[in-house]
Amino acid sequence: MAQYLPVLVMAVLATLFAAGSFVASAIFAPKRPTKAKGAPYECGIVPRNAAAERFPVRFYLVAMIFIVFDIEIVFLYPWAADFRQLAAFGFAEVVVFAVIVFASFVYLIGNGALNWGPQKRVEPQVDLDVSNEDSLGSSSSGVRAA
Amino acid sequence: MNLVATVLSGAPIQFPSISYSSILPEVVFVGAAVLSMLLVAVLGQRDQTYGYTGLGVAAALFGGIWSYHLSQNVNARGAYAVVGGSLAVDGFSTFFMILTSVGVLITLLLAEAYLYKVSHRGPEFVALTLLSATGAMLMESAYDLLVLFIGLEILSISLYVMVSYTTSRRVSKESAFKYFILGGFASALFLYGLALVYGSTGSTNLGNIAAFLSKNTLTSNGVLLAGMVLILGGLGFKVAVVPFQFWTPDVYQGAPTSVTGFMSGVVKAAGFAALLRVFYFAFNTLRADWQPVLEIVAILTLLVGAVLAVVQSDAKRTLAYSSINHAGFILLGLYVASAASIGDSLYYLFAYTVMSSGTFGAISMIAHLEGRTEGTLSLADLRGIGRKYPKIALTLAILLLAQAGAPFTIGFLAKFSVLSSVVEAHHYVIAVIAMVSVVIAAVLYLRVTLSMYTPLTKDAEIDRVSTDPEISLGAVAVRVDEDTDLKVDAKVPVAAGLAMGLSVAMTVGFGLYASPLVQFASKAFLLR
Repeated sequence: MAQYLPVLVMAVLATLFAAGSFVASAIFAPKRPTKAKGAPYECGIVPRNAAAERFPVRFYLVAMIFIVFDIEIVFLYPWAADFRQLAAFGFAEVVVFAVIVFASFVYLIGNGALNWGPQKRVEPQVDLDVSNEDSLGSSSSGVRAA
Repeated sequence: MNLVATVLSGAPIQFPSISYSSILPEVVFVGAAVLSMLLVAVLGQRDQTYGYTGLGVAAALFGGIWSYHLSQNVNARGAYAVVGGSLAVDGFSTFFMILTSVGVLITLLLAEAYLYKVSHRGPEFVALTLLSATGAMLMESAYDLLVLFIGLEILSISLYVMVSYTTSRRVSKESAFKYFILGGFASALFLYGLALVYGSTGSTNLGNIAAFLSKNTLTSNGVLLAGMVLILGGLGFKVAVVPFQFWTPDVYQGAPTSVTGFMSGVVKAAGFAALLRVFYFAFNTLRADWQPVLEIVAILTLLVGAVLAVVQSDAKRTLAYSSINHAGFILLGLYVASAASIGDSLYYLFAYTVMSSGTFGAISMIAHLEGRTEGTLSLADLRGIGRKYPKIALTLAILLLAQAGAPFTIGFLAKFSVLSSVVEAHHYVIAVIAMVSVVIAAVLYLRVTLSMYTPLTKDAEIDRVSTDPEISLGAVAVRVDEDTDLKVDAKVPVAAGLAMGLSVAMTVGFGLYASPLVQFASKAFLLR
């Protein structure tokens, strides 16, 4: 337990410093509030519109492609570090893994996941007919028992 | 820890010997899935889906045949574990792999016939089905809880996408979202249970767990029992037994019908395979602890499934509750937990998969011919189907009667053998409850079957349409005109016809000539 004492001391010091800062600023700071200062994320400029905006779903697509390669790297580094010991077995396993990841990348490219122009859609919908639509369990006098 | 220590010390690593012939079905399924996605990327061909379906069907056929070959090997040489003791090749796993292949075959044929008419075309559905089936096969042969979990995740993640395949439908999105949230929760439960079991037994390998529990008696086994219950919850969600069944009707209704068939067949089989192996094999010595729990769960599952199925008005919701009732029967085999009763559970699972895939296929065909979208076919719509589409109605009638347990079908023998195991083990009360649930559910199946062959009078037709808020008055006129000429030329696509035919042939064929399948199921022993 003794080796955790510095951590405890550090935690106490940090808590004291944080609490002390709040107390000091409450006592000593000048208070001249304006509307702009009271706004969230105050930086002196009055906000013009809401921060939450719609943005293209492609950002998510790029994020997912990034994750695919990120995961590949996660597995490649340990393999590279122990390349000699893992020998042919490890090499074969990594090749299989890389081929599958590469196939998914080919699929993405082939389906236009990286085309940024507005002219092409990834998946043309065949049928957008939403008539006769109903929510679950409430269809034509449906009894909904949970 | 061992591996890390070995790597740090610089000593040569002992690699597991991988018997590729034992995992060939899984390898072929993944290979076919990846190949189909590569093909669409290179060729850009989306509209003609025959090629992709053909690839998937070929993979499923290969998987089934190779699994049969493996089962013959097992018969000759005995069961064995492969890939460092993480996968079992035994009668049990090969039985389930054949079952999975049959399920995939029927699913792909039905999807080729109808799914692409309401959704985007391409190889994705085939690829997802094959990947999901790979997860199912991993679960069925897993000899290690972690491998079981990986299989569960492969199965589930592909399935979340399949449920939402008709993206333009709100019901489909709603059901996919429900399934995703609840499924993620169930996976977390399972994983937590796994951690607790590992903590109290010191291994994730099922063989080691069983050996540990048979040699040692824990003085305080609260952690182990908690882990067991959490594992039951996680797997119980996938097979839809009663405290974990709430998602079932919504998801079955909203998912594309071929996916519903897949869920009720292949996914349920995989979940039950895992339950049977984990509880009957790994936790066998703790049966005094889990049998009372399973007793309550089985009774509730039987009754809730049967009673709520009768009061539904939507065709797919009805079948969802009836699938819960069937799950109760399969659970009874595990509850009795004798070698014979496990065989009965397997036989029941095979019968149920065959019957339900066919039933959902027939339902999707009727919905399509009637011009209904996903999840809006009510039971009233089935009235008079017998004269309109005689072949489909006959198919549906046979399959429903088989589900009710009519003699000379696979369903009768399934119910009879499970019940006789229960009686042999002197659990008379639960046997009576099961029989009562059969009677309640039979009301439903018989009612639907009779209404299909009830002549459609004009009054009934108008009545039926006017209760349906979706159809305007103009449509009534059209319907009544249609009524005067009931001989609608129903063109059943070849693929769907094949799937139906396969399902009915197995339902009746194995009902009349039962011994091969019964023997196969009773020989499906677990690796010890």
